[in-house]
Amino acid sequence: MKESIGANDKGRLDLSGWAHWPDRIWQGGAALAALGLVAGWFSGGLMDAFAATYIVAFMFYLSLVLGSLFLVLIHHLFDSYWLVPLRRLLEHLSCQAGIMGLFFVPILGIVLFGSAYAWTQPEGQDHSWHVKSIMYNPVAFTIMSALLFGVWHWLANGLRRHSLAQDNTGAAAATHAMRRYAAGGIFVFAFTLTLGAFYWMKSLEHQWFSTMYGVYYFAGSVWVTLATVYVLTLVLRRTGHLAKVVSPSTFKDIGTLFFAFTVFYAYIAFSQYFLIWNANIPEETYWYVKRDQGLWHGVGLLLIFGHFFVPFLLMLRIDAKLSLTVMIPLGAWAWLMHYTDMSFNVIPAFDWSQAGWSVKLFGLLTAVGAMALMGGALARFLLRDLAAHPPYPQRDPRNAETLNVYVEPLSARSARSSEE
Amino acid sequence: MNGEDLHYGILAEFDTPAATMAAAEKVRDQGYSRWDVHSPFPVHGMDEAMGLKNSQVGWFAFLGGAIGFFGGNLMIWYMNSFDYGLVVGGKPLYSAFSSFPVCYEMTILFAAFGSLFGMLILNRLPRLHHPLLKNRRFAQVTHDKFYVVIECDDPRYDQDDTHALLREAGSRHVELVRD
Repeated sequence: MKESIGANDKGRLDLSGWAHWPDRIWQGGAALAALGLVAGWFSGGLMDAFAATYIVAFMFYLSLVLGSLFLVLIHHLFDSYWLVPLRRLLEHLSCQAGIMGLFFVPILGIVLFGSAYAWTQPEGQDHSWHVKSIMYNPVAFTIMSALLFGVWHWLANGLRRHSLAQDNTGAAAATHAMRRYAAGGIFVFAFTLTLGAFYWMKSLEHQWFSTMYGVYYFAGSVWVTLATVYVLTLVLRRTGHLAKVVSPSTFKDIGTLFFAFTVFYAYIAFSQYFLIWNANIPEETYWYVKRDQGLWHGVGLLLIFGHFFVPFLLMLRIDAKLSLTVMIPLGAWAWLMHYTDMSFNVIPAFDWSQAGWSVKLFGLLTAVGAMALMGGALARFLLRDLAAHPPYPQRDPRNAETLNVYVEPLSARSARSSEE
Repeated sequence: MNGEDLHYGILAEFDTPAATMAAAEKVRDQGYSRWDVHSPFPVHGMDEAMGLKNSQVGWFAFLGGAIGFFGGNLMIWYMNSFDYGLVVGGKPLYSAFSSFPVCYEMTILFAAFGSLFGMLILNRLPRLHHPLLKNRRFAQVTHDKFYVVIECDDPRYDQDDTHALLREAGSRHVELVRD
């Protein structure tokens, strides 16, 4: 823990030379992904490789968007002050829901024209398919998916619109409006996130049951979002955008929440496994049995140790949450672990028994392509939004408190002057 | 017996958290070690203003948690597998999965014990009386006043200098507290 976050930072970081990188990354990724799609058109095996890696990347980045939306919502619900400087960043991130909607189109194509989601094939289905087909059919899938993106877009943009308006007016009405959005929004959020996780990830194995799958995805999503926000805030502080408003205690608070979600994720992941292990019903256990074969056994262990024990033990000490030597590598590690987690959920759902080395290598290529495409595009639009607006809420009522400045309320001041 | 022995310390009253924080920073920068701040509610950033280091209670909690976790596992393994093997639902006699919920609760319980007793040990509690409780003015600490108290035992303590320091720090009321 040599280098830790201090009150004053060394020199300003200039990242303008890197500004064109998001474009390069998403264009390179788009080329690779397009290659995957075209190759998949001619070969079922390659199509599976493309579909699996694309869904993994999609669910990965969706985590960041929904995780940010959640943090904005609870910020208003708890009227917290420590999140104020980060709220604009989170608002911008959550407003990328529309872009994610665009990236969803290939998945819709997979459902409508492909066979990756087994429930799209009526032949050889069992009882569970007939029961669940009310939910899992192309029409419901399309309508519900459109609805989910619509709702997220509306919620995220509604919150950001009032927040931006408050930059100019400073009106308390904006805060009240955002609270109203958040109060209803948190319920909408819980239902829509669960539906998203069920429709796009869990339905790859539609026979399976797990009512806590939504909260499992939620826990992992907020976890990886907090890791990302920690690092992004660090960068934005060095570039000067948040230099004035972010203090070591901000990082301590993000770190603490990140730590809490490390435990929460483990709690949820364990509970899901434990209930299924304990009940021992074939309709449920097959999901984990499949993930205990070959390489996936090791991946499962990696998740137990890498997703929980390593971050948990590293961040247990309070000062570790301020140590750059711990937190920056941990941020990158969180991305790797969440990607592994999404892969663990998605990839074993496909039948790889016929897949040779070429298919696996091809899958690696499309995995990099899909991650680069979505990551680059999200970075591009995030940077555009950051440049277009002030980097933090300018006139939020909690600003002074965030900066640890005491501003006497007007009522107290007038009461005192009438006394004198 | 000289005069200072009759006194516990010197008490300064403040009206706002901000003023108290500023005073605490001054006292900290003067290098005092045996002193404390009392407030009706927790004040964010006060530990830093006072120059307090990370609390050692965490070590007690960690130790307690570790004892709870491994002790719980040991207990379950001994009772259900070693001493009197009990087959439940066709599962292994001892399994990390089935014993985890109990061990998890044991971890929390013993970590809570660790932090409670660690806190008591580090604070040298329980004690039956404290000189500040005799002070009438100090009763306001549970209402709307903030206090910085510097003990006479402090190596840097000097009745006049310390008094002046607290006055300078903005306190409108400074008084000696009898032991």
